[in-house]
Amino acid sequence: MAAAAIINAALATGREGQAHLSFRGLRKVYADGVAALDGVTAHVARGEFCVVLGPSGSGKSTLLRAVNGLTDLTAGEMVLGDTVLTPKTLHSIRRRVAMVHQQFNLVERVSVAANVLSGAVAEVPGWRAMLGWYPPALRQRTCEVVARVGLDELHLTRRASALSGGQQQRVGIARALLLKPEIILADEPVASLDPAISREVLGLLREAAREQGATVLCSLHQTDLAREFADRIIGMRKGRVVFDGKPALFDARAEAELYEGLAVPGAEPKEKIYA
Amino acid sequence: MREAILETGGHPRPATEWHLRAPYDWRAALAVLLIALALIWSGQRMEVGKMLRLTGEAVLAGVGLQEESQVGKGLGRMIGALFPFVIADKQEMARLSDIDRDNLPRFTRIETVEVTSYHLNAETLQAEPQVETKEYLVHPFGYLIKVLSKMVETFEIAIWATIIAVLLSIPLAFFGARNYTPNRFAYSASRGIVSFLRSMPELIIAMFLVLGFGFGAIAGYLALGLHGAGFLGKFYAEDIEGADPKPQEALTALGAGKFRVLRAAVLPQVAPSYVAYTLYILDRNVRMAAVIGLVGAGGIGQELKGRYDTFDYGHVGTILLVIFLTVFVLDQVAARLRARLIG
Repeated sequence: MAAAAIINAALATGREGQAHLSFRGLRKVYADGVAALDGVTAHVARGEFCVVLGPSGSGKSTLLRAVNGLTDLTAGEMVLGDTVLTPKTLHSIRRRVAMVHQQFNLVERVSVAANVLSGAVAEVPGWRAMLGWYPPALRQRTCEVVARVGLDELHLTRRASALSGGQQQRVGIARALLLKPEIILADEPVASLDPAISREVLGLLREAAREQGATVLCSLHQTDLAREFADRIIGMRKGRVVFDGKPALFDARAEAELYEGLAVPGAEPKEKIYA
Repeated sequence: MREAILETGGHPRPATEWHLRAPYDWRAALAVLLIALALIWSGQRMEVGKMLRLTGEAVLAGVGLQEESQVGKGLGRMIGALFPFVIADKQEMARLSDIDRDNLPRFTRIETVEVTSYHLNAETLQAEPQVETKEYLVHPFGYLIKVLSKMVETFEIAIWATIIAVLLSIPLAFFGARNYTPNRFAYSASRGIVSFLRSMPELIIAMFLVLGFGFGAIAGYLALGLHGAGFLGKFYAEDIEGADPKPQEALTALGAGKFRVLRAAVLPQVAPSYVAYTLYILDRNVRMAAVIGLVGAGGIGQELKGRYDTFDYGHVGTILLVIFLTVFVLDQVAARLRARLIG
């Protein structure tokens, strides 16, 4: 028993040692007393495409938004590589973390190129940011990432609003790829797209991230897409991790537990999920 | 939404028990009634009845159904005096020194006018006609050119006033936008300044500034600029507050500071309305620059005031026509500019 404990501990530390992104006991309690994160501990390995699943309100978005500081944590510790995330280190970390948003969050009135370049707005000197005059290397990089997400030269100068939803999310991904981030946070990136386009966009995100060696933390609500694309699935319910493992292990039973709350310790009996 | 469901224990009421309110109720009716009463009360103080009666008479007289009307007579005399527009410039030769008769300035000519005046003959004690010839140097478009050059000056005043208004309103808008202001104090201070600037009539600001800066354009464009900043500061700030937060959040997530987010995510969104407000202020400044000239703040208004006071209504007519044409042309140019920048 002692030996087993030692082996378990060694496995845990070994796994944690390789982790690119670690969450330890994350808690987020909103002012109204709702706990969006209620003790989340998980470790994401470098280069992994990790999908976070869970019903609405389970804390998926809050978890992602905590990584780049869009949400402050109430308690817990996050480690990115060898840097502990604190308000002080946040700024240096944001450079290494990019985000793909559910609603694309593009500036619709400006061109695709300007939207992609805005991914570097925090990194260029102030006068360049104010004039919108990005250095040639970044402009060249913009062309590369726009090509990488499957758009062509004609799209560069087109307004974001003139693009279809799928194309807009491609621009969102290009913006995230621009600075070669270590981590890409994707907050329900395909929630507003139709199934075929969703599959394309998610495949693109996975391949493009893999080429750069970026770790992806992607929240989804389509379990079939999660099974298809994830290297690893983290299931969340009511702010807690209730599933963590390979997609192969995420079977119908696990899905039922995650979404219906069956046989989850401490959870209330069956209840319908609204909102 | 979530809370509402929690309150009912997860069991919404059946739809038969739902209630969808009518868009108007007794409160709306009461409000309409109160507004109507207030307007009736105010209408009496403002002599709206008299206004309608006199206007009606003027219209009837105009189409020949009535002999004459008070308004028509008054306005008619005034408007009649504006015609014909004076575009020539006439100066008495006797008053012009150093003029070379063989080499007159371009476009000018000398006109000779015979003036008959009656003088009392001391011997016969009778008024006798005496014919005098007076010579005038006439420039056929002299006055029009003078008015146009004054109009150019007025336009320059309007341009500088607009530049000042824009420059002042940028910080005012930043501090006056609830989502970007650094603190409540800065917010209140900015909103206070904006309201103050807007509430001071340009004419009054110009009068004060004339005391400080003397007669001329400086007082003019400063007064218009300050008033314009009160307008632009308010509208710029409200547009910043109303901009779509999603792209702002995207850039904040990348670590961009307030100014960078404003530049990259907010400015593109608000640019069309900023262009529209700024062009409106330019248009307004051209019109108001003509007015504030009345208190000596430069431009065409000063000329207008002088001619009005000396009863040169023909000249006044020319000035009014030039102002109208300028505003009209500016409106056309602004519409194209707006379409190009916004489209």
